[in-house]
Amino acid sequence: MKQTLALAIALLGAATPVLADRLDDIKKAGVLRVAAFDSNPPFGFLDAQTRQISGLDVDVAKAIATKLNVKLELVPTNPANRIPLLVAGKADIVAANFTVTDERRKQVDFSIPYFASGQQFIAYKGKLQKPEQLAGLRVGVDKGTTQEIYLREKYPATTVVAYDDTPLAFTALRNGNVQAISQDGSKLIALLANAPDKQKYEVAPFTLSREYQAIGLPKGETRLTKLVNETLHELEKSGEAVKIYDHWFGPTTKAPLPRDFKIGDQG
Amino acid sequence: MTPPAWLGQNWLAPHYLIWLLKGALLAAWLALLVCIAATLLGTLLTALQASHQRAIRIPTDTFLSLHRNTPLMVQLLLWYFGVSGLLPDDAKQWLNTPHVLALPAGLSLAWPSFEFLAAFTALTLYSASFIAGELRAGLRGVSDNQRAAAQALGLTPWQTFRWIVLPQALVIVRRPLVGQYTAVIKNTSLTMTIGVAELSYSSRQVETETLLAFQAFAVATVLYLALVLLLQISGRKPVPAWRPAP
Amino acid sequence: MPDFLASNLDYLLWGNLAHGAPGGLLLSLLMSVAAGIVASALGLAGGTALVMGGPRLRSVLKTLVVLLRAIPVLMLIFWCYFLLPILFGIDIPGVLTVIAALAIINAAYLSQSVQSGIEAIGRGQWGAGLSLGLTRWQTLRHIVLPQALRIMLPSFINQWITLIKDTSLAYVVGVAEFTFVATQVNNREQVYPLQIFAFVGLGYLLVCGGLELLGRRWERRWRYGAA
Repeated sequence: MKQTLALAIALLGAATPVLADRLDDIKKAGVLRVAAFDSNPPFGFLDAQTRQISGLDVDVAKAIATKLNVKLELVPTNPANRIPLLVAGKADIVAANFTVTDERRKQVDFSIPYFASGQQFIAYKGKLQKPEQLAGLRVGVDKGTTQEIYLREKYPATTVVAYDDTPLAFTALRNGNVQAISQDGSKLIALLANAPDKQKYEVAPFTLSREYQAIGLPKGETRLTKLVNETLHELEKSGEAVKIYDHWFGPTTKAPLPRDFKIGDQG
Repeated sequence: MTPPAWLGQNWLAPHYLIWLLKGALLAAWLALLVCIAATLLGTLLTALQASHQRAIRIPTDTFLSLHRNTPLMVQLLLWYFGVSGLLPDDAKQWLNTPHVLALPAGLSLAWPSFEFLAAFTALTLYSASFIAGELRAGLRGVSDNQRAAAQALGLTPWQTFRWIVLPQALVIVRRPLVGQYTAVIKNTSLTMTIGVAELSYSSRQVETETLLAFQAFAVATVLYLALVLLLQISGRKPVPAWRPAP
Repeated sequence: MPDFLASNLDYLLWGNLAHGAPGGLLLSLLMSVAAGIVASALGLAGGTALVMGGPRLRSVLKTLVVLLRAIPVLMLIFWCYFLLPILFGIDIPGVLTVIAALAIINAAYLSQSVQSGIEAIGRGQWGAGLSLGLTRWQTLRHIVLPQALRIMLPSFINQWITLIKDTSLAYVVGVAEFTFVATQVNNREQVYPLQIFAFVGLGYLLVCGGLELLGRRWERRWRYGAA
């Protein structure tokens, strides 16, 4: 009887939000589990040599683990399961090119942004010069991205086709299934640099919106959120943030992109 | 009423439910078309496979083997990207722009999107290959003695097939066939890879917008369940199964 | 072989095996074998129970089978992986979740094939067995099952092939099987999706096609054996 009662309480306990602090759990376990993309270069992707996940998001995650003085464990994620991983407690935080929106803020807490980008387009050269030309076009996007939401809401005359990932969307463009694809500008420039037939395409000369990427945290974990924010501020102050950025987007990379955002610019 | 905390702060707003319902309708429509086409094609393939001519049988076997033994996702990608890569630019352009035929009384008939066409083609060929497998198994399940007996009675091969083999084979094959149709419904979910806005696609859209992953996927699961149960109930046979007396 | 395939070939075929983490095609095969064995055993037991069991057992099993067949495999894997820890605090690793989900769902399919196979043998065979003085179970074991298995074999092969291909759904819980690692490689290389997925298709074709040929050979041997 006692055991049944204990089990029932345990079940209830698991089903209701536990008040225990995630930060204490992380320290006790000695491991920070971070959900990071494994298919989204250069934010989170499989390194060709080490066969481990690396990228800009991972470098930020490393800094947070170091600050906590715990080991870093990366959990590969994709847009379909990053929230379930967080909610089911299989990851402590999400560092996966996670764009902040007000609607999303209802479900997760965000740290201060550590990256900013704008929604841009790749199209055949000369075919897309200004946003007005988007009407009537078929535009390919990645599933799970805010670019999809923005286009659907602000450009109802545009047909949005969502593919599983960027390579498929780009193939759709090369095959003529769509006339343009939309992504973070930071991703598109690198994508184009990789393409064997890059002279046929260009990044359209306009940016639709400014987007901010931040760490996603479970709701109500104020101590953990505060610590993550502190870490991000310190990264900027020590110059480490610039180093991380330059490693992925600096002048020596395949697709250089000037840094126009400092951590702390956005609250 | 607010949901338990782990479900997030909200239930799904009504307009998201409508997205999901629309997705379910498209999935059901695609599945229906595929089931019809795949059954016809599957029957044809079964007949070709039974041919005594090697020149017919071997290509048929190869076709079946290629389609059954590779993932549907790969086949979808090849039909969508591979075929559109081969088409001349004009045809490609035509297929990728919407065409609506206005009918009298305010009705209109839209030419399906290229995504839908590619999905239909790939799913039909894939499903037909499995249906052919079930039909063949059903024919095999009728023992050779039955054929011999029928022919001894003076029935022609066609009469034997029509009156002796086919009725028994249909009994064996009915349940597996419903199983294949079930698989078609569930397989429509893979067409989201090539941008068909069916149920899984819309559940991902809802998730992207709201981050209410569990709710979106739960509604999708229930809708798939409903579609399949609808099929299984309508596929019930009128005669109860025979079983050995206890 | 193009560069982008050659340099990733080992990763696609066996993942980070050197670091003790099998992945790629190897992991797909390991999961398939495990799930296939469990599914076949459960399916045979379930199908027999669907014919031989009492009315209550039969109706419980029937409902279970209908429900399991109605849920998309992807969703089943998803819910097992994410809901169990939330509701019951049970945390099962991804690979085990996938094996369990695939085993259960394929067992549901197989049990129906087994039931159909047994029923297809027909009243005469049962009558013959029973009139020889055999019990129902003896008749099943010695007269009906051997014939039924012959009818069922193609269904079993079909189901195993489906199972092997369904391991690719493990991506939703982050298990590094063949399709999953191919997606990783695809996204790093960015511009060769068709070639990479054609390679994936070839991998599955070799495995599943091999299994199909093997099945054909068994089938032929059994037919001659039975004649």
